Amino acid sequence: MNTKNQMWCVWSGIAFAIFFTLGFWPITHFMPPPSPTMSAAEVASMYAANTNQIRLGLLVMMGSSGFILPFTAAIAAQMKRMEDAPSILTYLQLVSGAVGVVFFIVPCVLWSVAAFRPERAPELIQLMNDAGWMLFLMPFTTFIVQNFAIGIAILGDRSAQPVFPRWVGFFNFWVAVLFIPGGLLTFFKSGPFAWHGLLAFWVPFVVFFTWYIVMFVFMRKGVLAQASVRPA
Amino acid sequence: MSNVAAARSGEHLPGEAGVWVFILGDMVVFALLFGVFVYYRAADVPLFASAQLSLNQSLGALNTLLLLTSSWFVVHGVEAVRAQRATLARGLLAAAFGCGVGFMVVKYFEYGEKLRAGHTITSNDFFMYYYLLTGIHLLHVTIGMAVLAYLWQRLRGAIDMDAQLSAVECGASFWHMVDILWILLFALVYLMR
Repeated sequence: MNTKNQMWCVWSGIAFAIFFTLGFWPITHFMPPPSPTMSAAEVASMYAANTNQIRLGLLVMMGSSGFILPFTAAIAAQMKRMEDAPSILTYLQLVSGAVGVVFFIVPCVLWSVAAFRPERAPELIQLMNDAGWMLFLMPFTTFIVQNFAIGIAILGDRSAQPVFPRWVGFFNFWVAVLFIPGGLLTFFKSGPFAWHGLLAFWVPFVVFFTWYIVMFVFMRKGVLAQASVRPA
Repeated sequence: MSNVAAARSGEHLPGEAGVWVFILGDMVVFALLFGVFVYYRAADVPLFASAQLSLNQSLGALNTLLLLTSSWFVVHGVEAVRAQRATLARGLLAAAFGCGVGFMVVKYFEYGEKLRAGHTITSNDFFMYYYLLTGIHLLHVTIGMAVLAYLWQRLRGAIDMDAQLSAVECGASFWHMVDILWILLFALVYLMR
């Protein structure tokens, strides 16, 4: 029985949340996000002023994103207990979670390109900065698929002792809905739908971390319940 | 029949507890959206008031009527399920679905009218919120209609109505939320002076 390995994978979700936030907030100072209305010169001076700090923070963020993968695998392991063969939703969650990690790693590299030569033309730095933020916050695609796969699997779990409470399934649908406004950031440079706005950044940011905590709590319970049924 | 008894006594929570996590959560999102609208409106009342004049209140009112009628059908559909009348329930759900189609047709003409008049999502703040709020609501109407269609399919040939009641109540609760949100949206965006 691999209870110990499963538990490490569940806890890696917390590791991701802590290290990613550490890189994003106190190190790069990307919190709150820089406004999309900033001129090219302003963006360039932001990267020029904190070059090494930004490089370091992005490195931490990029590295910590790896913790998403074991967490995704742990979700799959619990989902497999909910589903009958051929456990298609488990596979769906696994592939969407695996692709989702790209939207954490690649933006870090794009921002790193901006910080790599802070002396280059400001317009080019602004371009990379734009590309990083848009890739980070706009693609809700894989996350919605992942949340729906999890939600449907939870609601389909008809066993006497369901793995997750049913409200967690509906909670996953709600989280999926809240990621959608992020897609609208392509139209706006200011207001609530811009990438530093209430509905494109703050709401998804808070919701995403709440989702991590809710999933962590019930996955931990699930693993413990599994271990008590089948002794190690 | 304990569900029916509980419903009569008023202690019954429609559907299952979990669906209310989604419904209340979704209402929080709309509360946030409405709050944002009111906040930005307060910052530029003259613009919002003058742009509002170009909205077609009659079409908005027609849509309100369509959704209220659909909710009436849904209420009676739930009652029909409680009374073990599957065929009647399916007919009522189909009627509610039809009202949803009507809502979309009205929206199609309404958006067309706005676009022909040159009002797009980038025209000004008012029209940005107009398109976003009604668009996000329309997405909910679409989801709600998918739910109604799913229930209609589920009730086909169903024998044990008690086993269907919880799912039907979940879907009905969601549909009523879509209706309530439209009424609030209509009041805020179309009518508020």
